[in-house]
Amino acid sequence: MDESQSISLQRQIFRRTFLAQAGLGLGSAALSTLLGGESQATSASSLGLPNLPNLPQQVKRVIFLCMAGGPSHLESFDYKPTLEKISGQPMPESYTQGQPIAQLQGQELIAQGPMTKFGRYGNSGQIISDFFPYHRQIADDICIIRSMVTEQINHDPAHTFMNTGTVISGRPSMGSWINYGLGCENQSLPGFVVLISVGGRNPQPVASRQWSAGFLPSQYQGVPFNSSGDAVHYINNPPGVSSDLQRRVVDSVLALDRHRQETLHDPDLTARLAAYETAFRMQTSVPELVDMSDEPQHVLDMYGAVPGDGSYASNCLLARRLAERGVRFIHLYHRGWDHHGDLVQHMNTCSNLTDKPTAALVRDLKQRGMLEDTLIVWGGEFGRTPMFQGKGGPGRDHHIKGFSMWVAGGNIRPGTSYGATDELGYNAVENPVHVRDLHATMLHLLGIDHKHFTVKFQGLDMRLTGVEEAKVLHDILV
Amino acid sequence: MHKSSLLARLCLVGAVVASQSQCAICLGEQSQVDFNRDIRPLLSENCFACHGPDSATREAELRLDQEEAAKGDRGGYAAVVAGDVALSELVRRIESGDEEERMPPSETGKHLTDEDISLLKRWIAEGASWSPAWSYVPPKWLEPPATKESEWNRNWIDQFVLARLEGEGMRPSQEVDPVTLVRRLSFDLTGMPPKPEVVEAYAADPSDQAYARLVDEFLASPHFGERMAMMWLDLVRFADSVGYHGDQEHNIWPYRDYVIHAFNVNLPFDQFTREQLAGDLLPETTEDQLIASGYNRLLQTSHEGGVQLKEYRAIYLADRVRNVSQVWMGATMGCCQCHDHKYDPYTARDFYSMGALFADIDDEWHLRNPSGEVGNTSPTMRKPEIEVLSVYQREALSELDRQISSLDSHKDADQIAKLRQQRDSLAAAKSLTMITESAEPRKVRILGRGDWQDESGEIVSPAVPSFLGDISPDEQRANRLDLANWLTDAENGTGGLTARVMVNRFWALLFGEGLARVLDDFGGQGESPSHPELLDNLAVEYVESGWDTKHIMKLIALSSAYRQTAVADEYLRTRDPLNRLFARQNRFRLPAEMVRDTTLAVSGLLVDELGGRSVRPAQPARYYQNLNFPEREYEPDTGSQQWRRGVYMHWQRTFLHPMLKALDAPTREECTAHRPKSNTALAALVLLNDPNSVEAARAFATRILSHDAALTDNERIDFAFRQAVSRLPDDRQQQILVDLLNESRSYFAANPADNEELLKVGKSPVRNDLSPAELAAWTTVSRAVLNMSETTTRN
Repeated sequence: MDESQSISLQRQIFRRTFLAQAGLGLGSAALSTLLGGESQATSASSLGLPNLPNLPQQVKRVIFLCMAGGPSHLESFDYKPTLEKISGQPMPESYTQGQPIAQLQGQELIAQGPMTKFGRYGNSGQIISDFFPYHRQIADDICIIRSMVTEQINHDPAHTFMNTGTVISGRPSMGSWINYGLGCENQSLPGFVVLISVGGRNPQPVASRQWSAGFLPSQYQGVPFNSSGDAVHYINNPPGVSSDLQRRVVDSVLALDRHRQETLHDPDLTARLAAYETAFRMQTSVPELVDMSDEPQHVLDMYGAVPGDGSYASNCLLARRLAERGVRFIHLYHRGWDHHGDLVQHMNTCSNLTDKPTAALVRDLKQRGMLEDTLIVWGGEFGRTPMFQGKGGPGRDHHIKGFSMWVAGGNIRPGTSYGATDELGYNAVENPVHVRDLHATMLHLLGIDHKHFTVKFQGLDMRLTGVEEAKVLHDILV
Repeated sequence: MHKSSLLARLCLVGAVVASQSQCAICLGEQSQVDFNRDIRPLLSENCFACHGPDSATREAELRLDQEEAAKGDRGGYAAVVAGDVALSELVRRIESGDEEERMPPSETGKHLTDEDISLLKRWIAEGASWSPAWSYVPPKWLEPPATKESEWNRNWIDQFVLARLEGEGMRPSQEVDPVTLVRRLSFDLTGMPPKPEVVEAYAADPSDQAYARLVDEFLASPHFGERMAMMWLDLVRFADSVGYHGDQEHNIWPYRDYVIHAFNVNLPFDQFTREQLAGDLLPETTEDQLIASGYNRLLQTSHEGGVQLKEYRAIYLADRVRNVSQVWMGATMGCCQCHDHKYDPYTARDFYSMGALFADIDDEWHLRNPSGEVGNTSPTMRKPEIEVLSVYQREALSELDRQISSLDSHKDADQIAKLRQQRDSLAAAKSLTMITESAEPRKVRILGRGDWQDESGEIVSPAVPSFLGDISPDEQRANRLDLANWLTDAENGTGGLTARVMVNRFWALLFGEGLARVLDDFGGQGESPSHPELLDNLAVEYVESGWDTKHIMKLIALSSAYRQTAVADEYLRTRDPLNRLFARQNRFRLPAEMVRDTTLAVSGLLVDELGGRSVRPAQPARYYQNLNFPEREYEPDTGSQQWRRGVYMHWQRTFLHPMLKALDAPTREECTAHRPKSNTALAALVLLNDPNSVEAARAFATRILSHDAALTDNERIDFAFRQAVSRLPDDRQQQILVDLLNESRSYFAANPADNEELLKVGKSPVRNDLSPAELAAWTTVSRAVLNMSETTTRN
């Protein structure tokens, strides 16, 4: 190997080490200093992969509204009059024979008709249930997918599957994948933020596995923002320490480390210096972000947000603020959609907390011109059985063979629907959309060809979309 | 008798063990192409997915992972014709200009570079020599090579390292200064910074004898077991909670005491293996062996309502096979849950046959309700469990007994009564711990595509991977004990592989990286070792020493290679940026637990006790708010428990303590052999602002101000530096800290309310004989010192 080759190798390794170790986002100026001529390979404002995006980028960011617990498609977006006709009768065995079943294992399976009314709304005439009155306002903005399928029938693995494309622990969440690929546009905020709302009923546990960076470098993990206490763990100065004094402490640490670096020339130490700078910047940018005092009352009213209450409404507004600041992936969880019994009562609780703010988020982004480059996804980890379950009043069990989600933004065809389940709402029969297809489409919109977005792990080329066939839903795109 | 030893099997394949040499990346002049080093990785990466072990996806009935198949006649032509590039179909296809013909096909996303192609052609031209995959060839002792220079060599490890360097025209780095060396050794063997007096003593007499004594002392320290346990607990995914869904707690901490104790008493690794995999099957099982058998219960379990028995039976089987194969065999058998392995000779049948070895483990109580029906109950059952005192609790008990018996029953009646009371309360403080009990084995089927609903697969008997051997030659049902014996039997089992896997990890503990870099994949997609003969000799030494872990750790620590400086000069940074040749040591950030231990030790807060239940230091309020079934509050320890070492911290899989998480500790959902060592903003926030860090800084400041021998600011900074990084600051470092001290003084003098706020952080008592403003100013200086990279780095 001649000298120029070896220097190039050293640069590559330095860059790799650096990227693997660096803190959240680092300024392009600093980067170009550190990487010399190589900085051109990295886009101006991010630490994404140099070869991405490799497709036209339709959206810059994703807001994923996860309705944890599995909202019933049969009481939200999938109206099944035939199911109503056989309500109370045994569910035909042709549907249920040999199918995976969760809590209804070993019980008689009885059909349960829709527990609410549906109507057609918007110019598009989208079918939406009465549990979601505010969704009527955005009927012409969203594309409802009525043919989702997943592979996991219990909550925890189903969430893991929805977020990572597999049930094996230790794999990166989609938000981590996307930040790893595209980087973050903001140097002072994490690129993947998780917002879990309080309120509602008997909430689903949501594990930090759901926003894990898996085998990707740690800085791509999702950072949960808390509604009470520090917005991000340890983001505030210790009690009694002013911002100026904190700056002095950080400056002293940096000076001591730089002094040592004069003899070490260690890329790890360079990454550490950058991490301390970023940490200090975050200490300013995060409080500024979560301080909603600059939001006019009419905006707060539109969402129904009371700043600081940790509600889904406040988190929707926070999501808009994060989107405005260039955060790449914003993952909201609203828990409490697991309605094995008393479905009507619990649907009312959940829709009261989420329906209005969801619609407000879509409208707000639209009027700010941001819906054009933001993908919004709404849905749970699975749907619910057409069969009755009675923990208390009538409810439904977990169901994975057909359920509904909706997507909006970018070049998604607004005011449309896609796919269908059979007449009883059991199996997705028309244009089934697998979780992998959703991932492939999401990446496509972000300008990433999912087939060629791989990371080596345990000797394999890992992909968010896995090894099975995954298709981009071109039919729902303009 | 075993029908076929590993060696015999490999001979059947007709393999000639070629001398494996050189390193995985080629730095110097190319000599002969080496199959395992240069060619196998290319074939594995680009070809094996379609032309490898997995019969289900094999194209054109061509295998390139086996020599006969690759060179075999395919009707007038062959993929590889030794010595004839032009006749080799493989070459024609990889060079073809026809998109349809060219290999690998573009849709696979694989691509051979021009360099790859010329390497393959050179290999064929040179005779296309083949060698079996390095890791499955039993290790053999090789005479250490002679070196031109011999002064540097302290033991045979150095001969291998130096010979390789000389071959490259390189030299080892100079020996590191004694202070850094003793600090390095202390971290590597005990997980803690050295005490200043230990550093001073060694710096005054840095002789080989003094160093060897130091190594022995550290190996004999009970902290050695704690340090080794950090590695082992990551591998076997030890945690205090079940992992899935509600992530409820389970009882298993006595297993951790067992592991720490096993390393401390240097339990031979083969026995360590037997006790964990099959402690319940040993003749006259002891309580500790039953505790050890808790290994089989460490996997994640689900206590979610509506889980399906058969599904979780399949999930648990797969989890166990993944773990045992990664931990002991460096194999990624997880791939075979759905299909034959794409790169290594493991089949789906092997996977389920291995799983069948664990089919007798009685662990389905939590998947059934009390009536025995499928379903779930809350709280869920964890049996089989037993009530025990852990090994260290029993030791404490004997110690109390000893003290009591040494006292005079008349004269010391009061003291005896006090000790008796202590003894009785300790004896009564038994804890539940999950163990393994054997029951009627479940039937295990091969699941097509891993689908648990597919009941058409063949039922398999317990067995080890067939290409590696056979443990049930007499058609008797093999059990976990047979597996453990096979894993550690270097003659008739796969002990050579196990030994390689383990000594490679020991090397990584002492160098930051293994001789083979991928610590849990010794298959085709891993990396072959940089120094294969050295790895082999260490493996042989390990087996022949009776699986003596301390012996291997000592051997490596005594080498000159280990004692080199970690500072790379410009030449080395360019020549060998990844340090594959070990012409220097590595420097790296300490693992999360050691960062905590260092902070606590330096500040003086550390409560240095051995063993015991998991401890709960402060963590952010409502951190568990997203957990449910049941909802719960974390209740931090208030007593001395909160200042114990990181290895004892409560491990909540789904919500790991934010400090552990920020510093790359794994969740232990799966086996972790190599932790990342990132430098992130979140980690910086922990070290700067976590109340545990701030409290430690205040305690450290208290120590500094109470130290009689240091009275001036400069002396105190000297003292602080020496505590934190074992050496004195230079002028510049002094100046930076003096400036910070003076500014902090002015700040706290002007803002007295603030110093009270700062000093209130934490639960340790605040000394009221010190000036609050002065204590606050020194707390600020201490924060800076504890945040220096040097404090949390092993150099």
